[in-house]
Amino acid sequence: MSTATYPPPPPYYRLYKDYHQDPQSAPEPPPPIEGTYVCFGGNYTTDDVLPSLEEQGVRQLYPPGPNVDFKKELRSLNRELQLHFLELADVLVERPSQYARRVEEISLIFKNLHHLLNSLRPHQARATIIHILELQIQRRRQAIEDIKSLPAASLTLVQVVPGTLPRNGAHNRNSWL
Amino acid sequence: MDIISQMQEQVNTIASIAFNTFGSLQRDAPPVRLSQNYPDPPPLPATNSPEDASNFPEQPKIMSAALVKAAKQFDALVAALPLAEGGEEAQLKRIAELQAENDAVGQELQRQLEAAEKELKQVQELFHEATDNCLNLKKPD
Repeated sequence: MSTATYPPPPPYYRLYKDYHQDPQSAPEPPPPIEGTYVCFGGNYTTDDVLPSLEEQGVRQLYPPGPNVDFKKELRSLNRELQLHFLELADVLVERPSQYARRVEEISLIFKNLHHLLNSLRPHQARATIIHILELQIQRRRQAIEDIKSLPAASLTLVQVVPGTLPRNGAHNRNSWL
Repeated sequence: MDIISQMQEQVNTIASIAFNTFGSLQRDAPPVRLSQNYPDPPPLPATNSPEDASNFPEQPKIMSAALVKAAKQFDALVAALPLAEGGEEAQLKRIAELQAENDAVGQELQRQLEAAEKELKQVQELFHEATDNCLNLKKPD
């Protein structure tokens, strides 16, 4: 039984020999990749965009355009889906051999539904960013208010504390304030 | 779970209820009578018939009720979508505004923090002086 040897580590470690003494002598980390790259023989892309339905060869049932009324289209696709189920049931009773077209139409509606839901995701991401930024602004304002209230508290303390310290030399009392 | 994932789950649920409905109806349906001349089919074995005979007329009703309920839940989820009007440009504009405001508030916070740290150092120095004076006044035993 033979075991495969582990590949040696990449030889770049030699470049970092004097990192402790001089951090500038070692090379900078590589810049982030843009575009497509190859990883373990597979091609990947950094530009994640949802492919449109035409690119996948699926007919688009809702009207195209930049601003889609998601609620209206989702509701109408739901109604159409229910109608198609009824049609499939009718076809199975009357003309059972013609089920294939109905089933294809039902799967087309499902693909459109999922595509609509996937195209809602960027909108959700932007809304999440807006929400997080608003929360952050609120927290920073709260921190500013807290900091502003502190000097007043510390001033009162500074006035109260000297009275509590033991007085062992009356002639040195004035050196504090 | 966020609402879009819930909607995706609901669509998959509708699909699975649909194919379970059609599949089990097709599997369990009694055969169609083609002509009065043909004899009746032989009865099914006793173990199966009580369940099928009582359940079968009810099955379409139960399963279609489940399908309609799932569709109504999807409608309710669609109604609950918090879609702000304005589209992508309005959202991007709002993000830019919020970022600018965030930067301004962050700088203000930084200034306040520096001023507060300076005051803290002053108070600490005064405190050290006071305690040194106190300790120096103590008579050695």
